[in-house]
Amino acid sequence: MTAYPSSRWVIAAWLAAVLLCVAVIGRTQFSADLSAFLPRVPTPVQEVLVQQLRDGVVSRLILIGIEGGAPAALAQTSTRLAAELRKQHEIFAAINNGEETGLARDREFLWNNRYLLSPAVSAGHFSSAALRVALEENLQLLGSPAGVLVRRILPNDPSGELMRLVEQFEGLARPDARDGVWFSKDGRRALLVAQTRAAGYDIDAQERALALIQGAYLNAADAGVRAEQKLLASGPGVFAVTTRATIKADALRFSVIATTLVAALLLALYRSPRALLLGLLPVASGALAGVAAVSLGFGAVHGITLGFGVTLIGEAVDYAIYLFTQITPGTTPAETLARMWPTLRLGLLTSICGFAAMLLSGFPGLAQLGLFSIAGLVTAVAVTRYVLPVLLPPGFSVHAAAGLAPRVASIVRRAPVLRDPLLAVTVLAVLFLAAQRGPVWSDELASLSPIAAGDRLLDEQLRRDVGAPDVRHLVVVNAQDQETALAASEKISVILHRSVQQGLVEGFESPAFYLPSLASQRARQAAIPEPPVLRENLLEAQRGLPFLSGLFEPFLRDAAAARVQPLLNSASLQGTGLALKLDSLLVKRHGEGAAGWTAMLPLRGVTDAAAIGREMALLPDQQAMLVDLKHESDALYQTYRREIITYSLLGAGAIVLLLLVSLRSPRRVLDVLAPLAAAVVITFSLLVLSGDPLSIFHLVGLLLVVAIGSNYALFFERQAASAGERERTLVSLLFANVTTMLGFGLLAFSKVPVLHAIGSAVGIGAILSLAFSAILITRATVPDRPAIT
Amino acid sequence: MRSLVAALLLAAAGICPAAAAETAAAWGIEQLMQNLGQVKSARGKFVERKTLAILNAPLDASGTLIYTAPGRLEKHTLLPKPEILVLAQDKLSIEYKDRNQRRTLALQEYPVIWAFVESIRSTLAGDLQTLRRFYGTSLEGSEEQWRLSLIPAEPKMRTVVKEINIGGRGNRIRTIEIIEAEGDRSVMTITEDAS
Repeated sequence: MTAYPSSRWVIAAWLAAVLLCVAVIGRTQFSADLSAFLPRVPTPVQEVLVQQLRDGVVSRLILIGIEGGAPAALAQTSTRLAAELRKQHEIFAAINNGEETGLARDREFLWNNRYLLSPAVSAGHFSSAALRVALEENLQLLGSPAGVLVRRILPNDPSGELMRLVEQFEGLARPDARDGVWFSKDGRRALLVAQTRAAGYDIDAQERALALIQGAYLNAADAGVRAEQKLLASGPGVFAVTTRATIKADALRFSVIATTLVAALLLALYRSPRALLLGLLPVASGALAGVAAVSLGFGAVHGITLGFGVTLIGEAVDYAIYLFTQITPGTTPAETLARMWPTLRLGLLTSICGFAAMLLSGFPGLAQLGLFSIAGLVTAVAVTRYVLPVLLPPGFSVHAAAGLAPRVASIVRRAPVLRDPLLAVTVLAVLFLAAQRGPVWSDELASLSPIAAGDRLLDEQLRRDVGAPDVRHLVVVNAQDQETALAASEKISVILHRSVQQGLVEGFESPAFYLPSLASQRARQAAIPEPPVLRENLLEAQRGLPFLSGLFEPFLRDAAAARVQPLLNSASLQGTGLALKLDSLLVKRHGEGAAGWTAMLPLRGVTDAAAIGREMALLPDQQAMLVDLKHESDALYQTYRREIITYSLLGAGAIVLLLLVSLRSPRRVLDVLAPLAAAVVITFSLLVLSGDPLSIFHLVGLLLVVAIGSNYALFFERQAASAGERERTLVSLLFANVTTMLGFGLLAFSKVPVLHAIGSAVGIGAILSLAFSAILITRATVPDRPAIT
Repeated sequence: MRSLVAALLLAAAGICPAAAAETAAAWGIEQLMQNLGQVKSARGKFVERKTLAILNAPLDASGTLIYTAPGRLEKHTLLPKPEILVLAQDKLSIEYKDRNQRRTLALQEYPVIWAFVESIRSTLAGDLQTLRRFYGTSLEGSEEQWRLSLIPAEPKMRTVVKEINIGGRGNRIRTIEIIEAEGDRSVMTITEDAS
């Protein structure tokens, strides 16, 4: 403790470490990937889903709404905006606003390939008996208003394959159309869906796409209508862009505000710019070390981790405050440090226990925050311990403390009066929490998402408007290659068709609707009779019906061509809207050991999921499973909440154990813990009272209250050698507390939910911990026991 | 056009408005539509003949028409095969009882069918605004014997339908003639239902 390393070496080692950190940070990737605050996913199915969220078609969709003013003007803006955006081929893969332009190619594809696509084409489908039934049905259809639909295509398609294909896609929700473009149900919002070429996680590309949309909108909207029309956009890419912008803005704003406030406070306290700079050294070193550690540990640093750096300012600056304020005139910094080191060290260790719970959690983002804080605090304490004593001028002492100390001491002396009221309030808070009937904790996985509630609401509205179904149930099947995945989808389709007829489910979609397996395509070609046979069958079927003779020549020609046409592959769909569909339902899996293809068959209107699940289980040697996404994500969330609670309890247990070992007295441990427990209970009650649904992040915040508050309690509890020393300790605690409140309290104003939750919990909890320590820890004022060593 | 010959009235179950005669001087399409719009429900028998270019014989059908204001129209075909057609709001459903089949079309997605059915429904409902969204209108004759000609407003629709002529007397529709662009043609004659 007494033997300091040579001061020159200390400075050299510190500078070298700083340079090393800067070098690491220079090479660091900074991300704003939203999935960092979703739990790591354990199952392959969930992995596919998260991959979809990151770079699948779903992640590439930008939902656009234009609202305000007359529908006709909105439709015009929509048409012009779509035309502008369609020019940007290299940015957008597709722009859909309901205009025919987009659909013509789809219809053409279905029409040209109807005999390969239609599941009805099988042996016997073109027998004379089957054709007779089809012709009679057509005759009846011709008499109805729907007759206009079939009249023109009848000569080519008497067996009604196109109708069958179209029916397969019917029931898939589509937005309403007005004036030829998509509109919300209430007709107040024109809708467009843009698909970017870049993946949703490519935030720079998404930002460019968004800027293009905004620019194109300004061109598309007439100056006259621009005042009343409003452009709305949502989607994973938009979320990524706005979240990154919010994080950037929040991180920058709060860092600047917190630094300025803390600096002003320290300047007022120290009255010396030099002391101010020295006081910020541990913080700056800690921040560098924290970022470098996260970069090395995780490969990339999340923007939110940087935002969290603000809290480090609040806590790490405490160490220098403790040191500077507690230096007694006439003693050296080294002597002061030696005296306070055991308490400082114990405080650091309890903080580490708290942050370690975050480090172990299943959220990569939260783990980053934990590592950042631990590395930062250890560095800050090390700099305070070894570097500052070397740099402090001889005879350094803080003058302001002397003036303030007696007043603070007198308040603290009188504080225990509040002991009984505090106990009463605590008991009330416990009763209040016990009486909570409704859900205190948010049960939605969405509560963890860094997306602001308003943005999420807009997204839900647009999604509903566009008719993008809330995909809840889907059948997922994994296979070695594309052909096997498609063949499996076809087998599953057969079962699902039966389930539809049994009323277990309203309908479903399958990638094989758009691209049948090669085997099925070949079988369908083989099911078309040779031209002379087909002609014979048709003549037989037509006998006695009023169709003109020779009417069906085009059919005979098309059928003959279909028998020998080249088989379809994914390239055949290029340029159609159906290609997008296929891409979203049939996905190539990357990743070691998991390479292969996954087919997804979304179900709608499921009434008996259990029965469908049983049917799927009956499929031989296939990995088809029915996934209930809502159930999966709820289960996931609950697992992680349990995990966080376990780690938090372990962290709290570790803190108690640490205190027991260090203080060697259960009674003293109780003294230290009582104010913390009261602070946690009352902070929790206040958070519940605030009406926000509480997430895992609030729980983490409470854990931090224990970690940080234990510092205050320890210093309060510590035996002082003299009344003067105790007064200085109290002043240092007050300032340390104010800086912590500034750091975390500011975060409470952040728009990023994680930061807001942790900030509000710690902001409230920190000040309560200090106040409650003053009220409850009364026995340490007289030095009747030997100080801890 | 000869389609206006012998035709009986589509009976109005509601009270027949006497207002029509009083404002004979101002009779025009607005007045006609207002009169039609006052019919709350109606029921009648129909006979329909369709002449199609792809068939070598006309298609005949007959059955019952049921109208309920403002926008529900049911066409129950009995011959040659049972078929129930229901137009309600923006959906058209066709049900074939004999083969247990039912098809529902969202009119939004089939603009041509929509235009077709709206010519009849909007006229029955006296909804001039909707009618003019799809058609240019011209009215001939008198309140006692009128003929409303509809020409599709959309060029695309004109490639399918040339014109639709609706003939009637007072607030009852008696004939609906559809002349299609490719020479196909259908005439529906509506007679009062005795029941």
